[in-house]
Amino acid sequence: MRKLVFTLRYPLIIVSIFMLLIAAGCSDSTESSSEPKKDGELDKSVTLRVLEAGGPSGDYMEKGFVEPFTEKTEIKVVRESPTSLGKLQAMVESGQHTYDLVEVSSGNLYQAISGDLIEKLDWEQIKPDPTNEEGQHEYGIGYQYYSTIMAWNPDAAGGKELTSWADFWDVEKFPGKRSLPDYAVFALPIALLADGVPKDQLYPLDIDRAFKSLEKIKKHVSVWWQSGSQPSQLLKDKEVDYSAAWSGRIVENEDNIKYSFNEGLLDLSYLVVPKGAKNISETNAFIHEMTVAENQAKASEVLPYTGPSKELTALLPQDRLEAFPSSDINYEKQTFTDSEWWAEHGTEVEEKWELFKLNLNN
Amino acid sequence: MKKKIKGISYILPPLIIVVISFNIPLFLMLIRSLFSPDFTFEQYVYLVDHPIYLQILANTFKTAIIVSLLCCLLAYPLAHWITLLAGQVKLFVLGIIAMSFLVSILIRTYAWIVILGNNGIVNRTLLEMGLIGSPLQLIYNDLGVTLGTINVLLPFAIFPLYAAMLKIDKRLIKAAYSLGSKPITVFTKIYLPLTLPTLLSSAILVFIMTLGFFITPAILGGGKVQMVATILDTLINRLANWNLASAISTILLMVTIALYIVYRKVGETVK
Repeated sequence: MRKLVFTLRYPLIIVSIFMLLIAAGCSDSTESSSEPKKDGELDKSVTLRVLEAGGPSGDYMEKGFVEPFTEKTEIKVVRESPTSLGKLQAMVESGQHTYDLVEVSSGNLYQAISGDLIEKLDWEQIKPDPTNEEGQHEYGIGYQYYSTIMAWNPDAAGGKELTSWADFWDVEKFPGKRSLPDYAVFALPIALLADGVPKDQLYPLDIDRAFKSLEKIKKHVSVWWQSGSQPSQLLKDKEVDYSAAWSGRIVENEDNIKYSFNEGLLDLSYLVVPKGAKNISETNAFIHEMTVAENQAKASEVLPYTGPSKELTALLPQDRLEAFPSSDINYEKQTFTDSEWWAEHGTEVEEKWELFKLNLNN
Repeated sequence: MKKKIKGISYILPPLIIVVISFNIPLFLMLIRSLFSPDFTFEQYVYLVDHPIYLQILANTFKTAIIVSLLCCLLAYPLAHWITLLAGQVKLFVLGIIAMSFLVSILIRTYAWIVILGNNGIVNRTLLEMGLIGSPLQLIYNDLGVTLGTINVLLPFAIFPLYAAMLKIDKRLIKAAYSLGSKPITVFTKIYLPLTLPTLLSSAILVFIMTLGFFITPAILGGGKVQMVATILDTLINRLANWNLASAISTILLMVTIALYIVYRKVGETVK
């Protein structure tokens, strides 16, 4: 009998420890009720938590914005990655305020707005430096321009250069295998541009025409890529001769790969404030720091992407302006993605996209 | 009775953790498919009206069945061969197989590109030998996905089979031979029946793991081989449609459980 009691006691102690741990974990979220403070006054004991894309893009944020901000305000910023819309939604729905800022793509920005997941920004309190129009959104601060551009192997087609998506579609003038993004949001506008739709008349997208255009090229597309690292690998390995690709991955391989920003699909990612977030004054101070042109220029040294400041081009390395997606010489060549349209039609298009791919092998 | 209580108290800590951190969240996730916010079958009706999702689900099952069949066919003779090896060599071979767990799936996936790509070792060799005129398409299709997935999952079939084969009482086989059985009879009457339950459980393990595969199909399929994990990612991270994702997951789970029940039934009749 004594033995039985003993054997029971040990696991029961473990159980109670677990229970205590779980209880502690639950109460953790409710304890952080800081003292009320005046508007604009920064609390240096706060640590801002940012959920971002990670990898080299994390260094972009660290060098460009976190370091100058912490130096100026003594407020610490912790970065975590990778970001996703799923994480933002899970966090807001569970009421756990883990992050003060979350990086989202422009498409996810509108999903987050319609899902009531994020706060409006108080631009009067932020007092931003001048930015492009899309840089100051009602719900987000423009963070990083990126572009989906055409890239090719210099040996392909006897060294002829592509200047438009129509060239990309022209398999007689430019023979060889191709690669396109496995994302409707990029593949469909490209298909329409290739079919002759002027870049300022893309939206609202003519979905049926886009798929008809894709039907023409699909036999020559050997890879529909998912990961942004694929196009440069495919081109270098000569798996394909031509690929649509994200600019940052391509311009760093200039020796092996040629590219053009002509008819590129320009897009801007944002940082947003999750619903119910605290530390608003500190977050706003950080957002202000993100609009400063010098900081954006520092970030662009890490990675050839750009922020939305109006004065940025003058601060970029002048001999490499063609490598940056939103520099003055590239901005006008491209077309801007209408993410509001995508937020509205995403599901419908996505289903047609999957159907299109299901029939690829036939 | 006392014995029962004693057992329960020992498994209670892990049980609580599993229930709180896995079962309850899973249940809450699945239940989302029926509420939005009131009780409704809307998501399931939607799935019937938009057959693309179920087609992709069927595609996933097809790939999973092929992968688990091939894994079993490859692992069975391999595991048997290992049991025949001498001590040191056996350790070495087992070590090689276990070592594959140390390399990340992503790297192993990209390694296939180096071997089977247009400009890979296989195609270059064949081209230089003049056996083919233009590179063969060995990856970026179903074949690539099947190869890459088998490569990752094969050890999950080899190790259980090897353990099951070791446990077979060799005297049974000797007795059969001494009574005049032919090798084929020994295999079908003794060896296979004794290893069949493990073979089936390995198959179901590989099958279930293939269902959730994400990165290998995405890269080696060239975007042409759709798996349900990719669709779920799109629904959750790009379209913020958790309810539909939950309905698809529920169907996936139900079919998997149904298959598991079939497997148990088959396993019982085999025993």
